[in-house]
Amino acid sequence: MYPLGSCTMKHNPLVNEKIAKFEEFSSIHPYQNEESMQGSLEIMYELQKDLCEISGMDYFTLQPAAGAHGEYTGLLIIAQYFKNKNEKRTKIIVPDSAHGTNPASAALSGFEIVSLKSDENGIVSPEKLKEVLNSDVAAMMMTNPNTLGVFEKNIEEISKLIHDNGSLLYYDGANLNAVMGIVRPADIGFDVMHINLHKTFSTPHGGGGPGSGPVGVKAFLKECLPSPVVIKEDNKFKLYFNDGKKSIGRMKAFYGNFPVILKACAYIKSLGGEGLTQASKQAVINANYILSKLKSKVKVPAGNSCMHEFAMSLKGALGGDIKTLDVAKRLLDNGYYAPTIYFPLIVEEAMMIEPTETESKQTLDEFIETLLNIIEESKTNPEVVHNAPVNTSVKRLNEVEAARKPKLHW
Amino acid sequence: MNYIPISDKDKKEMFDSIGVKDTQELLSLQIPETLRVKKLNLDKGMSEQELISLFKQYAQKNKSNLACFRGAGIYDHFVPSIVDEIIGRSEFWTAYTPYQAEASQGTLQAIFEYQSVICELTGMECSNASMYDGATAVAEALLLAVRASRKNKIILSKALNPEYISVIETYTKNLNIEIIKIDIDSKTGAINKENLSGMLDESVAAVIVQSPNFFGTIEDMQELSKTAKDKKALFVAVVNPVSLGLLKTPGEYGADIAVGEGQVFGNQMYLGGSTFGFMAVTKALEWKMPGRIVGQTVDKDGKRGFVLTLQSREQHIRREKATSNICTNAALNSFAACVYAAYLGSQGIKELSETNISKARYAFDKIKNIKGFVPLFENSLFFNEFVFKTDKNIDKINEELMKENILGPLDLGKIDSKYKNCVMFAVTEKRTKQEIDKLAEILTRV
Repeated sequence: MYPLGSCTMKHNPLVNEKIAKFEEFSSIHPYQNEESMQGSLEIMYELQKDLCEISGMDYFTLQPAAGAHGEYTGLLIIAQYFKNKNEKRTKIIVPDSAHGTNPASAALSGFEIVSLKSDENGIVSPEKLKEVLNSDVAAMMMTNPNTLGVFEKNIEEISKLIHDNGSLLYYDGANLNAVMGIVRPADIGFDVMHINLHKTFSTPHGGGGPGSGPVGVKAFLKECLPSPVVIKEDNKFKLYFNDGKKSIGRMKAFYGNFPVILKACAYIKSLGGEGLTQASKQAVINANYILSKLKSKVKVPAGNSCMHEFAMSLKGALGGDIKTLDVAKRLLDNGYYAPTIYFPLIVEEAMMIEPTETESKQTLDEFIETLLNIIEESKTNPEVVHNAPVNTSVKRLNEVEAARKPKLHW
Repeated sequence: MNYIPISDKDKKEMFDSIGVKDTQELLSLQIPETLRVKKLNLDKGMSEQELISLFKQYAQKNKSNLACFRGAGIYDHFVPSIVDEIIGRSEFWTAYTPYQAEASQGTLQAIFEYQSVICELTGMECSNASMYDGATAVAEALLLAVRASRKNKIILSKALNPEYISVIETYTKNLNIEIIKIDIDSKTGAINKENLSGMLDESVAAVIVQSPNFFGTIEDMQELSKTAKDKKALFVAVVNPVSLGLLKTPGEYGADIAVGEGQVFGNQMYLGGSTFGFMAVTKALEWKMPGRIVGQTVDKDGKRGFVLTLQSREQHIRREKATSNICTNAALNSFAACVYAAYLGSQGIKELSETNISKARYAFDKIKNIKGFVPLFENSLFFNEFVFKTDKNIDKINEELMKENILGPLDLGKIDSKYKNCVMFAVTEKRTKQEIDKLAEILTRV
């Protein structure tokens, strides 16, 4: 089990892998004429269409190769929009609970970053937002539910403040698995978003890629999208190129990570609207179930309920000088991958847990028991926790030495 | 199908523990009712059988498994069975990013082996774990050069793959970077050293040259590198790994950064993605490199092991000051290349290079003898791709070839109007003599 926070790890259906291996897909050259690759284009078109329905956005590009690449695309779209309007806006607001890729993508797009401190409940406060809003602000990036696993309930007010200021609202889709069929980002005020197909839509992570980070926009941003996108005309599928002056251009060679796109499309077709909604609901139930069993033992900054994940602080819950890192390593000994730790940065000794909907109750119960045992063990037998892991192929590795004298190849 | 293994009884127990009566109540603790969507307007879910049948229908609408004479960045090379077998193991295929080193030694060592293969191939000192593709690798190399040199002027070859140039233009759009493009010589199809020399001064951060270039021509990288370095510009070599079995490595001609498209090593074409880009640099640029890097270390018993290293360059630590925003890259695709390289070995890669060049030469000679085809560059030294000017109808040629399940040459006029009436052929080791002869026969009669 991968109880990771912030990086949805769900079952990767085998049938999708089987379909993706069809030679009719794998042997296609990107410069074949459109007539000879109608099947592949149709799959891309279908995914664009379904992602629009799921998110409420009007148009999608499937070109970005990963989540961070999608963020970068989205921010370039925002920059392009203001450029096309001849408006100079130089800043992006990023809450302090955001993923590191958010500020990094904004910087790469030429923006200055304004970091926004979350309030005591770990969410964005409209009052604090007002203090940093001015005519320099191009957009604000938000993850909703945020990285604490909490739904930003003031989103309507935030959206109004942002839009009254002439700015745009960006949705980091890393946590979309919490809200499919429950909330649509476009309906609650977001203008641009990216989706991680390798998280929410079940395509395997491959040890760190290939991923895919499609970007959706509302209609007024259509001309800024990268080229090409797939359109349908006279019942034929075509690659459409935007006007080079108004579009951001091209994010990578060709059209996107096709096998990932195909598997995500197959996943959506298998589940249908109802299945996707059930998936999100079950993900929320699973996370809350774990939370309910742990909350008397650890501090949960977000409180008594969460969306599909939650961040907890192990500060004060552990014996002696045992740290969150030690607990994570001890989980490895028990056959679990360790959850994301020390993130979000605003939680001390943080550990994030996201079980996803494809785990059974039995697995969740075993995980809860293991984690509680480790917390207990940190008090009764701290040495064992401190020395973990011992059941893995190697013991704790010397990272300091690795960075001091880098040995990066044979 | 929804892949949820939770029964109603389980659910009831879970609600009891949470302290709510149903999902509705649970969600209302978090989300205001007014923000909720009624339902998604998508088709009903499908069974596995229905799904396979739907995708078979899509598959049949593609014209696939053609004898491919088209390249321009993506090439039809043979992928040995061992590649899919090894990368397809679930320990690699479905594994997460190796943040927890002790539980990810397989993935980490695979990346380490990959980095080693890239260093061997390119002759460079440090490789990262991979980029999204060749185009983004070149764009990131450019940003690296700007960062490292603290200069903002870049000279790049007009014979760089046009898709790469577009990506560079997008990546540099809002940054204060000046890009100057250098022409190629109309006789050789390569960059002229004197031309480059004339454009260079000490304000130039880097010179970016692809070899074999977009038109297939092999550049004099030794001379170009020297010319760039004489003016203190960094030299960025964009190379095709298949050619490195024969050609000098970027390390040998003193490149500071070597990048390129990795699809040619062990990855199927798949409509141009997913592939991977590689990036390797000199020791001096190690800390400036974007992306993940794996390093060798020891565990507390002194046993050899691997970790993600030099992480303080990266976004999850440095946020907006990171060397790049890249996080997920193309681990599995780069691992395919690693397996492929290990399977071929250095002798195999040399033979691969030779086979490509000799088959391409055979095809070139055949086509040169066909009336209506004239080589665009009369003195071109090419690898596995070359350009002809033709007075024949290109659409008609490709239509006729398609009837025989041959994917004909690329119509370059559709990429750049300057190359109207030009066609570009790619010939890999996979093309047989029969296929090349058939191609020539059809070109003759159309």
